[in-house]
Amino acid sequence: MKVNALGLVLAATACTSSTGGQIVSFDVSAAGPADAAGTRAFDNGLGWHVELSAATLHIGAIYMNATVPTSGAQFTNCILPGLYTAEELAGLDVDVLSATPQTFPTRGEGTDDEVKAGELWLTSGDINAAADPTLIAAVAGVATDGSASRPFTGRVTIGANRLIASSDPAHPSAHPICKQRIVSPIAIALAPRDGGQLLIRVDPAAWFANVDFTALTAVTTSPPAFEIPDDNATDAGQNLLSGLRSTGSDNYQFSFE
Amino acid sequence: MNRLFIAIIIFTFAASSVARAEPVDAGVPIDAPSADATGAPARPVYVLPSFAVVTRRDPPIYPDVPVARRRPVDVSVRVDVDAAGQPSNAHVRSPANPPFDDVAEGAVLGWAFAPATTNGVATASSLDVTVHFEPTAAATAAAEVITIHDELAPTTATKPPSTGAADYRIDVGQMATAVPRKEGAAGLLQLAPGFLLTNEGGEGHAEQIFLRGFDAREGQDIELRVGGDVVNQVGNLHGNGYADLHFILPELVESVRVVEGPYDPRQGNFAVAGSADYELGLAKRGLFASYETGSFGTSRALLLWGPPGDGPHTFGGVEVYQTSGFGQNRDARRATALGQVEAKVGKHGLWRLTSGAYISDYHSAGVIREDDYDAGRKGFYDTYDFGQGGSVARVFVLGAIDHHHDDITYHHQLSLTGQTMRLREDFTGFLLDQQTSFQQPHPQRGDLIDLESDALTAQASGFMRQTHTWLDRAQHLELGYFARLDRTSGVQYRDEAANDHPYHKDTDLDATLGDVGLDASADLRFTDWLALRGGGRTDLLSYNAIDNCAVQDVSHPSPNNPPGDASCLSQENFGNYREPVQRATTAGTAVLPRGAVLFGPLKNVIGSLAYGEGVRSIDPSYITQDVKTPFASIRSYDAGLDYQASLHDVATSLKLSAFRTHVDKDLIFSETVGRAVLANGTTRTGASLAGRATSRWFDQSASLTVVQSTFDDTGLLIPYVPDVVARTDTVVFGELPYYNVDGTPVTGLAGLGVTYVGRRALPYGERSDAVFTLDGSVQATWRRYTVGLKASNLLDNRYRLGEYNYASDFHNQGEPTLTVARQFTAGAPRTVVLQLQVQL
Repeated sequence: MKVNALGLVLAATACTSSTGGQIVSFDVSAAGPADAAGTRAFDNGLGWHVELSAATLHIGAIYMNATVPTSGAQFTNCILPGLYTAEELAGLDVDVLSATPQTFPTRGEGTDDEVKAGELWLTSGDINAAADPTLIAAVAGVATDGSASRPFTGRVTIGANRLIASSDPAHPSAHPICKQRIVSPIAIALAPRDGGQLLIRVDPAAWFANVDFTALTAVTTSPPAFEIPDDNATDAGQNLLSGLRSTGSDNYQFSFE
Repeated sequence: MNRLFIAIIIFTFAASSVARAEPVDAGVPIDAPSADATGAPARPVYVLPSFAVVTRRDPPIYPDVPVARRRPVDVSVRVDVDAAGQPSNAHVRSPANPPFDDVAEGAVLGWAFAPATTNGVATASSLDVTVHFEPTAAATAAAEVITIHDELAPTTATKPPSTGAADYRIDVGQMATAVPRKEGAAGLLQLAPGFLLTNEGGEGHAEQIFLRGFDAREGQDIELRVGGDVVNQVGNLHGNGYADLHFILPELVESVRVVEGPYDPRQGNFAVAGSADYELGLAKRGLFASYETGSFGTSRALLLWGPPGDGPHTFGGVEVYQTSGFGQNRDARRATALGQVEAKVGKHGLWRLTSGAYISDYHSAGVIREDDYDAGRKGFYDTYDFGQGGSVARVFVLGAIDHHHDDITYHHQLSLTGQTMRLREDFTGFLLDQQTSFQQPHPQRGDLIDLESDALTAQASGFMRQTHTWLDRAQHLELGYFARLDRTSGVQYRDEAANDHPYHKDTDLDATLGDVGLDASADLRFTDWLALRGGGRTDLLSYNAIDNCAVQDVSHPSPNNPPGDASCLSQENFGNYREPVQRATTAGTAVLPRGAVLFGPLKNVIGSLAYGEGVRSIDPSYITQDVKTPFASIRSYDAGLDYQASLHDVATSLKLSAFRTHVDKDLIFSETVGRAVLANGTTRTGASLAGRATSRWFDQSASLTVVQSTFDDTGLLIPYVPDVVARTDTVVFGELPYYNVDGTPVTGLAGLGVTYVGRRALPYGERSDAVFTLDGSVQATWRRYTVGLKASNLLDNRYRLGEYNYASDFHNQGEPTLTVARQFTAGAPRTVVLQLQVQL
């Protein structure tokens, strides 16, 4: 008690001020588009009309950075230079056809610095591990193009099936696997505050922007069913992952309330 | 085995001491027959022996101590008296009292004695005498005439005059050991106001010093000297100016002069927050052995000696220390040898030779994340990385010569120092291992820094002080020089956590660094109560550095000769070959005016106004060819009052100082980079109050410093520096009542140190916890034997010595932790040590 009193007296004699900024914690949630209602219909860039009946995304972690990486920089590191100012480390499987925010199991933490770039880590373990069986995305729906109809399913994992070999012996790590697992940088402009809520809306429409359903092979014929391969060996499989990793604002929107 | 060896040594010394110290038996029959001149056996007789007695006792000259501290003093001296009545080997037995002990020993050797007798035959013996010092009215009056106030007096010896209220001359005395100081000799800095010492690097790592709103790191912003020799290591890779004081045995510190600011022209590079100069000495004469053992497997053996008949500046000391350390990974071992010889040269000269060696090997725990501690994933005293620690070696020799002739005093000194330091630290875990495209794919391999920094340093300095008469008063002019040349080498690797193998070289730098400084100062007295002291200093600092790892990245590397995982590349853009090295040379000058006005029209009170400019030289790893060395410039102001008086036999001094210091380009430590990084201009404004009171039975020192440290552009606080520091040290001593063993009184000594550090500002508007610790000791001495108990952190507070907000990732969660989090270094729990000493 005496010690505390001494502290108060001594502290009172010093001008009180701050180093600036604040440590904050906040709720984090994710959802599909605001108008999503269990289904999503859209036309992709190749003329297919897609009606999604199921779409989930596993978000392993979320990071926010105060700086935007320099375009064309040599860094292939997964952890970017610059200052990470906020993070959500608990994973969540998000139904991106639901407009209802789905809350992450733990609160996000960070500082109240203005954020300019966001990252979604699509993993559930070591970001550098060659193998990872985690189901990152699962989709189902029907794609039509005129008379052609393609009921389809698709799943995305990011492991050895997504490795990109380097053709340049001088750059053996030009395409590290960790880069395949990170959606970055997502341009955002927000400042977290203590007790607030970060909401990430994910629109799966962008995932299919360049998916050509023509090339899909049927896995069953009666009824007909097609599958988007879970690899980079096919254009459809590769383009689905590319679309999923697209950082455009039509794909991922960060907002803070 | 070590303990056994040390115990044998101590026992041997103790045994020999007992044998030598045996007094002439009183009233014991001499039954062994002795031979007379004819060889016939003498007849046994029973004759009461007589003791040696003093037959002429000349009163000692009262030493030159400040008027306020003059009081009657008794010093107990043991002296040998041979069969002819000739005294020799006088040494003080009472607690050390430096200003009086030398005089007492000298006085006793000038007294006349009648020898002891046995069977009527004169024999050699020893006896204890008390030398009484009485501050006569004449002596006090003379002192008053000379000084009015002691601080105003011009110095007549080699010590520089005071620069005002920010200039603290600390006679360490019993404060050196009576209050436990786990920081060793560096802990004595806390006898001056405003010091906070922390250590995140382990027992062999230099203390981090905070002073007057500065985070002076391990010497970056404070010039540290021993006997005038600068300890700061230029070009140390861990921090330019790194100064490790562990090579100083605290028992061999006589005094410390602390100047809190750049107010003295003699202060050199690194004197940003101020400077401290340790004066070595050993008051006691004879042999002194000490053994300590206590908590956490700690043991320390210490041998000191001061040849009888020589002054306190001739001594030797050896220390061996080891501990298992508290918590995890805090074991340490060290050994120190330190010696000095001082002798006269002719009638007016003095030479001094000091040498020492110090080696240490230790581990350190580093930081713990607060969230891990809260979640129970880590204990308070745990570590993340058992690879942390280091080893240190230092050897030096320092020679000095003084000469006084008529109105001229000159001083020269020359030193040579070799030192090596390995340091392994891990502040961030797995965060900094960048994957480049030309490396093989890898995960985060670990951030353990493995640093080696070696240096060979030659220093020379000196001055000539001349006295002239002007305005019917003695005026002093002084010219001085300082020169040092450093050959340094530093390499820093990053080690892989899995196997301890270095996987990346961060830095490989060799440098030759020069510094030549000239200073001129005057000590002018215009009236009896007004003095002007000041002058200027100019330094030329030169840099010649070769970066052996100058190329670490390349655009468009050669596909035929891919750089791979090598750290230091031999190619530049498009694969063109080049050597991996790059040399750069440059130089810079600084002109630094400094001065103080001291005025004392009021009795017992001295006012002072001081102004000074300082520089912070650049780390050689930052220099660029022919680009002007970007010094940081410091301007500091100080106004103070100094009160000294003797009240009811208690010598009292009180200093009040208000200060303001501005730095145009500051350095703020970055844990991520592992070194201080450039920041904007900063200002510190504050005040300190310090007092000391001494009497026959106690010595009390206390201080309080309040400071606000802000960035100029934002007005925000500078993180980590404390804005409130309070400290008291109390020592009481004297004969214990009712304890008298075999006719010899038992003397007791108790010390208590109290430290309070306010909640320090942390990044992002956070505050650390306050720190409050008690350290204490008790001792009992009978004849030449002392037993004591020392305890630090008496209340066993679980406190955070350092707290930091920065990003780290110690793999404590499933995904990397990349944002700011609180980490701390643990303060030591209660540590109790038993101390056994014998004076031989």
